[in-house]
Amino acid sequence: MGEVIVITSGKGGVGKTTTTANVGTGLAMLGKKVVLIDTDIGLRNLDVVMGLENRIVYNLVDVVENNCRIKQALIKDKRYPNLYLLPSAQTKDKTAVTPEQMKKLADELREEFDYILMDCPAGIEQGFKNAIAGADRALVVTTPEVSAVRDADRIIGLLEANEIGQTHLIVNRLRTDMVREGNMMSSDDVVEILAIDLIGVVPDDEQIVIATNNGEPLVGSESKAGKAYMNICNRILGEDVPYLDLEETQGFFKRFASIFKK
Amino acid sequence: MNDVVVIKGTKSGIILVLKPDEEYDVLKKEVAAKFKASAAFLGEAQKALTFQGKELTDKQKLELIDIIQENCRLSIVCIMEEDEKLEQSFRKSIEKKLQQQDCNTGQFFKGNLRSGQVLDVETSIIIIGDVKAGAKVISKGNVIILGSLKGNVYAGSAGNKNAFVVALDMDPMQIRIADTIARAPDRPKGKRPKETKIAFWEDGNIYIEPLDKDVMNDIRL
Repeated sequence: MGEVIVITSGKGGVGKTTTTANVGTGLAMLGKKVVLIDTDIGLRNLDVVMGLENRIVYNLVDVVENNCRIKQALIKDKRYPNLYLLPSAQTKDKTAVTPEQMKKLADELREEFDYILMDCPAGIEQGFKNAIAGADRALVVTTPEVSAVRDADRIIGLLEANEIGQTHLIVNRLRTDMVREGNMMSSDDVVEILAIDLIGVVPDDEQIVIATNNGEPLVGSESKAGKAYMNICNRILGEDVPYLDLEETQGFFKRFASIFKK
Repeated sequence: MNDVVVIKGTKSGIILVLKPDEEYDVLKKEVAAKFKASAAFLGEAQKALTFQGKELTDKQKLELIDIIQENCRLSIVCIMEEDEKLEQSFRKSIEKKLQQQDCNTGQFFKGNLRSGQVLDVETSIIIIGDVKAGAKVISKGNVIILGSLKGNVYAGSAGNKNAFVVALDMDPMQIRIADTIARAPDRPKGKRPKETKIAFWEDGNIYIEPLDKDVMNDIRL
């Protein structure tokens, strides 16, 4: 039986979709059968980030309304044959599906897939309720900013109220240089505020922007963000992976300069 | 003996159900009585007539029509055969005709179609503006875009394989003509010269080519 994981944040633009794409692709690289579901009806993005937009014929709403079979709507990934995407509809809105329908869909997909990842829309309205309906566990994504952390706190409360089993935290877009200078919260600060277990810290990485624009998740690559996402995947599978040293590996001249600073 | 003759009305016709094992003479009288009784209800109209139940000769049919017209103010324009194959072939030829009409008649749309917007038309359509990624145009006929096409187009949506798509800047996500779908290649999008192109269906494939004279000569409306 597969596990349904919802990726949510409350606030928009903190990296839910990027996280879904990378964690999903990472789990597929580790040999799991994975399906990503974009539940952001009317503002779909996951297909673009995955580079699968040109393959969409049917979507989530078509499946729920029985216009097609689930198999017809699932899009196979370009690189990993055990990774699938169920895209969202662009011409409908969040009320096109109900939490009951999403739960039924998740239960059907559970039979065939190891992991079902729900990419949640921003907000706490119908779209959020749809996304968490069938979920066994949640990954809460936040950036180290007070606004994002405040929204994450609200979301964690709602997840607890809806009795979603495990809830883990991903701190995204951390800048170690700013943390060092005391201008940004550290991941420890965020964990302390939110009081849930951390499952990963992803550094701010311009490679993410490039990868997103090219429609190719960078999980598993040599970049820091790629490694951080792969570590998250391994932790989801239950492995104990040490946290990355996110400090900039300093070049010779920088080190030289820092000696002189002292 | 009420069910010897039954009159059923449809929008443009009357179905006359006759009891199969009844004598013709009895039926004749009954038809006369029935139509006389409901003359006021039926009013004055031009109708088609279909016989059901009893097999009748042509002469008998004509006689019954006379009886009907004598007893009420309806005028029977024609007799419809209850033949399903005939019915289907009629429908097919009507649909074919309609399809041709859809391709050869058109309408204009001015404005940009943005992500999430769908333009669904019965005829051919000329769009003065762009069709952006995430937008969709569905037409039973042809689609001509006086702007850039970056979204999805579905031409010949009723199955017309002669339908085509023209755009001043052709860079679609998906083009569908009749039952064939073509999608954009998976290359990262770099700079690309704007070029007027046409997409058409041939032998189960969709081809996208620059719009030159040769291609235009091959267009069938």
